[in-house]
Amino acid sequence: MNSFYFAWRSLFRQPVRAALAIAGVAAIGALLFDMLLLSQGMLISFRDLLDDVGFDIRIMATASTPISGPRMADAAATAAAVEALPEIDAVVPMRIGQARIVGPDSVNLTLIGSVTSSRDAWTVVEGVDLDAIVGSDHPPLVINRNVAEELALVPGATVTVRSECSERYSVLPTVDFVVSGIAEFPFDPVDQMTAAVAMPDFDRACGSVMDEADVFLVASRAGEYPEMAVKAITRLRPDLHAYSNAQLVDRFQQVGFSYFRQISTVLATITLFFAFLLISALLTVSVNQRFAEIAALRALGFSRRRIATDLLWESILMVGTGGLLALPLGLALATWLDRILKAMPGLPGDLHFFVLHPAAVATYVALLSTAGVLAAAYPVFLASRLPMASTLRNEVVG
Amino acid sequence: MSATVIETTGLTKTFPMPAGPVTALRDVSFSVAPDEYVAVTGPSGCGKSTLLHLLGSVDTATSGTLLFDGRDISALPDAERSRIRLTQIGFVFQRFYLLPMLTAWENVELPQGEAGASKAERRARTAELLDYVGLSQRARHRPSQLSGGEMQRVAIARAIANRPRLLLADEPTGELDRSTGEQIAELLDRVHADGNAIVVVTHDPAIAARAKRRLEMRDGEIVAEASA
Ligand SMILES: Nc1ncnc2c1ncn2[C@@H]1O[C@H](COP(=O)(O)OP(=O)(O)OP(=O)(O)O)[C@@H](O)[C@H]1O
Ligand SMILES: [Mg+2]
Repeated sequence: MNSFYFAWRSLFRQPVRAALAIAGVAAIGALLFDMLLLSQGMLISFRDLLDDVGFDIRIMATASTPISGPRMADAAATAAAVEALPEIDAVVPMRIGQARIVGPDSVNLTLIGSVTSSRDAWTVVEGVDLDAIVGSDHPPLVINRNVAEELALVPGATVTVRSECSERYSVLPTVDFVVSGIAEFPFDPVDQMTAAVAMPDFDRACGSVMDEADVFLVASRAGEYPEMAVKAITRLRPDLHAYSNAQLVDRFQQVGFSYFRQISTVLATITLFFAFLLISALLTVSVNQRFAEIAALRALGFSRRRIATDLLWESILMVGTGGLLALPLGLALATWLDRILKAMPGLPGDLHFFVLHPAAVATYVALLSTAGVLAAAYPVFLASRLPMASTLRNEVVG
Repeated sequence: MSATVIETTGLTKTFPMPAGPVTALRDVSFSVAPDEYVAVTGPSGCGKSTLLHLLGSVDTATSGTLLFDGRDISALPDAERSRIRLTQIGFVFQRFYLLPMLTAWENVELPQGEAGASKAERRARTAELLDYVGLSQRARHRPSQLSGGEMQRVAIARAIANRPRLLLADEPTGELDRSTGEQIAELLDRVHADGNAIVVVTHDPAIAARAKRRLEMRDGEIVAEASA
């Protein structure tokens, strides 16, 4: 009988004990797994979100986040100059302001001004994009699903917009737009109201041609490293701040998300220690109960190594089975916790706190295996150093 | 092959205890031939188990020498001594020590697998042994489903599974009633008749009477020897 099968039989000689042990490992393993998903989840989700948009570089006026910072002047010329760089494929300037759709039902919304190109900062899901509307009485506008539902709008409807983008005028005139389509904006929080118009129409709503941008969305040419493109932009315009997606993720990692990472690292360490304690305690107790049996096996000629291997397998079986069960358990728990955390207002709807990624699974397997092996160390030591003669004697005398 | 399975000279075992050392075995010299059946008797605490443990290489002497098959194995590394116990020495315990989660068949098969016997060899040998001890019908039963006598028979089958040169038994009938003890004694007789050297420690005069050679111990020494 090989060690593995022997360990299997040893472990399940007391099925309830084995089941409880495995359930314990599964519960602890699920927590550990979740902590690992959490430690990187937001970053990965943020990176995916950035990458999905189709632009890999952002240019801003300052090192702080857009909107709050000052705007960049000469947007059209800047965009053209940057786009002329050999590393760059496309540049889309973007203005972000506040506006109000007025009428019998009115809503406040974020109004985006941009130029439409083959790459948009949004995805049209119903109707058509801005540039598909020609010869209409009114300039086109795309709205997100929230606005469409709030005001019961369909493509073709006309809305009246009052922009609140300028400090210069207290009350701006209204502009009528025709809804060309309904679009998804990747960074929208779930209850966000958003609409987008072409840059000239944004300026018109603002009452003057400002030719400004809050941010340039930049796509580097295929095959180029975005970081090289960033260097080229910085050489061209040292006064602006360009970041690749990876650099943005790094910045966020240093500021916003480091806190999730710290929490999850602390909790993961504690959970790992619990896993170690649980397995170690269970194995030690079970070895203690089996002293006579182990001494008899040694007397019958089983080597120390064989006894150690049996126990190691027993630990691996316990940790392996529990650890495997922990994966679906952890995923279910993560989904639930993610839903709770995502209820926080103001977060992009596609941002997640717990993200399943291969590195997390690999780390989980490595950590849990290490805990299992380390936890077996003491019971293995006890069992293999067991003095045969006095143990056999004590069992008869005691 | 040596003329003796066991040969001891001046074998002494002292246990260091807080209240002072306890000498469990004092200057014991004797030998066991490959076809001998030796019974060791004596009052409780006289050192019988201690002697048996030294003979079986599960413990080492404080002084004196012990040759197994003409060879001093006390200085060998643990792995090699384990191997010798596995293949050349059989152990039968008062409390059987069968593995509770394994069937009778698996208990008998276990040391064979450890010794490296092939599956076919193990199957044939295990069937033969269970038949030998009269438990073919109980092959699939676990120890908890067997009586004491049956468990001891399985334990004897396990002890001789690798065809050892020497079978050591410490009070093999200590937990059994008289008539069951008789059955075990008869089985040991058969094992001996099949060519195994046996050293059995016993309080039971009926068992001792079956051995051709009887050693009487007192206070860690062999004080009398009788042959039938
Ligand atoms: N591991 C040990 N540590 C301390 N003293 C021991 C140990 N093993 C045996 N002894 C002592 O050695 C002496 C002999 O013990 P042993 O077990 O060999 O006796 P025994 O003849 O087998 O007795 P019994 O018939 O009760 O089994 C006893 O005084 C015992 O207390
Ligand atoms: Mg004894």
